[in-house]
Formats: sequence, structure tokens, C-alpha cells
Amino acid sequence: MDNATNLTPPRQQPRIYQFKQLLPWLIPIALILLWQVAGSLNWLSTTLLPTPWSVFQDGVSLWRAGELPKNLGISLYRALMGFALGASIGFFFGMLNGLSKTARGLFDSTIQMLRNIPHLSLIPVVIILFGIGETAKISLVTVGVMFPIYINTFHGITSVDPELIEMGQAYGLSPKALLTKIVFPGALPTILVGVRYALGVMWTTLIVAETISSNSGIGYMATNAQEFMNMKTVLLCIVIYALLGKASDLIAKLLEAICLDWQVKRSR
Amino acid sequence: MSEPLLTLERIGKVYGAKMALHDVNFSLYPGEFIALVGMSGGGKSTILRLIAQLEAPTSGEITFAQSDMVTRVMFQNDRLLPWLTNVQNLSFKSSDPTQQARALAMLDTIGLADFANGYPSALSGGQKQRLALGRALMADPQLLLLDEPLGALDALTRRKMQASIAKICHDQQLTTLLITHDVEEAARMADRVIVIKDGTNIYEADGAKGQDAATIGTVAERVLEVILNPATPARG
Repeated sequence: MDNATNLTPPRQQPRIYQFKQLLPWLIPIALILLWQVAGSLNWLSTTLLPTPWSVFQDGVSLWRAGELPKNLGISLYRALMGFALGASIGFFFGMLNGLSKTARGLFDSTIQMLRNIPHLSLIPVVIILFGIGETAKISLVTVGVMFPIYINTFHGITSVDPELIEMGQAYGLSPKALLTKIVFPGALPTILVGVRYALGVMWTTLIVAETISSNSGIGYMATNAQEFMNMKTVLLCIVIYALLGKASDLIAKLLEAICLDWQVKRSR
Repeated sequence: MSEPLLTLERIGKVYGAKMALHDVNFSLYPGEFIALVGMSGGGKSTILRLIAQLEAPTSGEITFAQSDMVTRVMFQNDRLLPWLTNVQNLSFKSSDPTQQARALAMLDTIGLADFANGYPSALSGGQKQRLALGRALMADPQLLLLDEPLGALDALTRRKMQASIAKICHDQQLTTLLITHDVEEAARMADRVIVIKDGTNIYEADGAKGQDAATIGTVAERVLEVILNPATPARG
């Protein structure tokens, strides 16, 4: 083995991997640190813009007092109920209109007309009809979530490769098997894009609804704090929105990783 | 000769104002390997689609020996389901343990046993077509329809696949109809070569399956002459 070539060992990857994992957090952390330093050195008025640390302390005290968990729980309940209802309705009509030309003829034009009405413009109507109770907020989130799910489900179903459907027919698959083994999995990537978008719409709608017509929830906390010029709580609510948005995004990514593992493996 | 497995009589197919097929007549006998050759747009694939019952003829009659005959098509593009693993593609993700075991055995037969749990996207063109062939064979078809399945492969892979398909069809005594525009491929693989031109069958010749290169070349040359001859000869 005298002539054997000494191969250099492969470069160690873990450090690079760890750095890549940290990369998305660098800018938020840097901004928070800068904000803290600017506040601590009185470059910023802490009355108008309290430091991150004081916002954090405000969060801890509101949590201990039970106000934060209560409002957070109510907001989560509204968001999830509205999402579940809106996603179910959107998915149902998306599938129905995607699969049946008759249903498409009957429903699609009406849905497209309704879709183009900005759903937040319905707030006055919703308040008149349902007051400021749970029904009003949940129904607004439902309307907001329904259309992105509908559009993406419909588009996903109608965009499935017709050659794959023809193959399934040639191989004697039943209509049910065609739906579950070819049409739905083929449409799933597009449907999940809709889910991801709808999760964003869900929070936006809820925040606006709670800000305008509510006596509980994170949006209400922010409006109430604003009336007392309590900037710490206003900023805390904004941070909570950001964290909830990020959590939704992570859930959407997790769903994609579970349902579309074949795409992940292909792209490696 | 035994009763035909399949007979096409005076078959015609019209798409709008275009007549794709007219007066197509031939029979396919059990265990026979037939190749339909001709130029693109001549109507070969339309004939296959009619036999596979993906479309209905405008006129004429296709008679099957059995009403419940199992027919499988191997398409030009593999049409594998990218979201299923290779073994699941064979069984269509069946939960039946017998089907799963058959799928694993079939992967072994087509030389892809090591790729059972991978996805089709990781396979080469030739491997994908082998998987598509395996899927077609899973139902033990009485009639196998091959729609230019090797058209997209490189020359070397193509020759290997020709040998694989010919061996499997021979071993299983499968009645096979191959659509191809490659006259040499038709001559090498088929018992009988039928030339389709301008929507009808104009010529028939014995294939050179299992024979030497010179015989294959002679058959291919004769078939090519017929295809390229501007004056369409009478049915030979």
C-alpha cells in the first residue's frame, strides 16, 4: 500500500450547518439588540418606544396576572375555529368545482364575484348582523380563509396532469381510487400553498376584527393599551403577532414536509 | 392458427374534420408480438388508444376474444406517480399484502429491487421505463400495448430495454403490440411487422425476432422502403 494515495478527510460540515441554521435569526436578533442599546443610551424616547427588555417584563407581568394567557387563548380559539370553518368550505367547493363541470358552471362565477369583495369591508355588515360576539369574528376569519383555500384547491384539481389520470383509467382504477391516488395527491402541493397563504390571512383578519369590534383577544389588548398610551403592551401585542405568524409559517412548512416528502427528497 | 385474441375490422376514426384512421384491418393472435410502424402522425398511436379503449372508433369494430380481457398500456412517457415510491407505483399503494409482495417480486424481475423505497425522480430514464413495464405486468395482462416506450432513451439503454422487453414477453408468452417509428426495433422484436401509413395498414411482413443482424437489416430495409415510397402499395 506504499503507493496508496492519502485522501484528505472530507471537510467537517456541522459548523457550516449550524451557521446556516442561525442565519435567519441574525437580523431579528441584531435589530432587537440595536433597539435595546438605543433605548438604554437614551437615543430613543423610552416613553414612545420602550426597550425590548421592558416589553418582555411587561409580558411576564401580564402573563402572571392571567390577562395574557386569557386573551391569547381567546384569539387562538377564534383563529382556529375560523380557519377550520373557512378551510372546510373552501376545500369542499374547490374539490366540487374542480371535479364537476356542472358544479363549476353553477358555483364558480358566484364565488369569483364574492372573492373580489375585500373581506375586511364586511366588518360593518358583520357587526350589524352578529354584534361584537364570537360569531362576528369567527365568521370574518372564515370568509378570509375560505377564498385562498378555494382558489388553490380548484386550481390544484384542474391542473393535475391529464396523462396521469388517463393512465389511471387505462389501469382500471375506480373513480374513488383515481381521486385518492392520483387527483388529490397531484393537487396537494397547490392546496398547501393555499393553506400557507390562508394562515397569514387568518391572523390579519383576526387582528383587524379584534381591534375594531371586541372586548377580548390580543387585538383588543393592543387597542385598549393604545387608549392608555401603554406602549409596552402595544409593542408586546405586535411581537406576539409576529411570533404567531412565524408559528403558522412553521406549521405550514411542517405540513409540507409531511405531506410532500417526495418533493423534498427530489430536490436534495 | 388459433383464434385471434383481438380483431380490428374496417376501423375508422375521425377527429373533427380530420380523418385519423380509415379501413384498418388486422388480427392479433395469442402469444404473438406485433409491431406497428410508420411515420409520425400516421395513426399508430390512435390504433393503440382504440384497442386500450381510451377512445372509441368512429366506425368499424374491435373484437376481443374475451369481454373481460386484461389489457395494459406502457406509454411513451413513463407516467409514474411522483408521490409514490417505486414499489408503491407498482401496486398503486395497495394495502393488500399479496399485492405488496407481488410488487417486490416484480421489482426483482425488472432489476430494481434495490430501489424499492426510493422515488421515481431518482431513477434514470431506462429505470423509469423498466418500472413502468413492471407496473404494466403487475396485472398479468393478456394483452400488452407498448406505445413507443423506448423513444426517449439513448441508443445503448434502448437496446438493453429491447432485449428485456422481448425476454419478458417471450417468457410469459405475452401477446404484445408495439408502436414504434424505428423499423429496426420493429424487425428485431416482432413476429410480424405492420406498416401504418396515412391512417391505414398498407403492408405486412414477418419480423426477424431472434434472428441475426443481417436478417433484421433486410426486414428493416424492406419496411423502410414501403414507408418512404410515395406511391402507397396495395396491401401486401
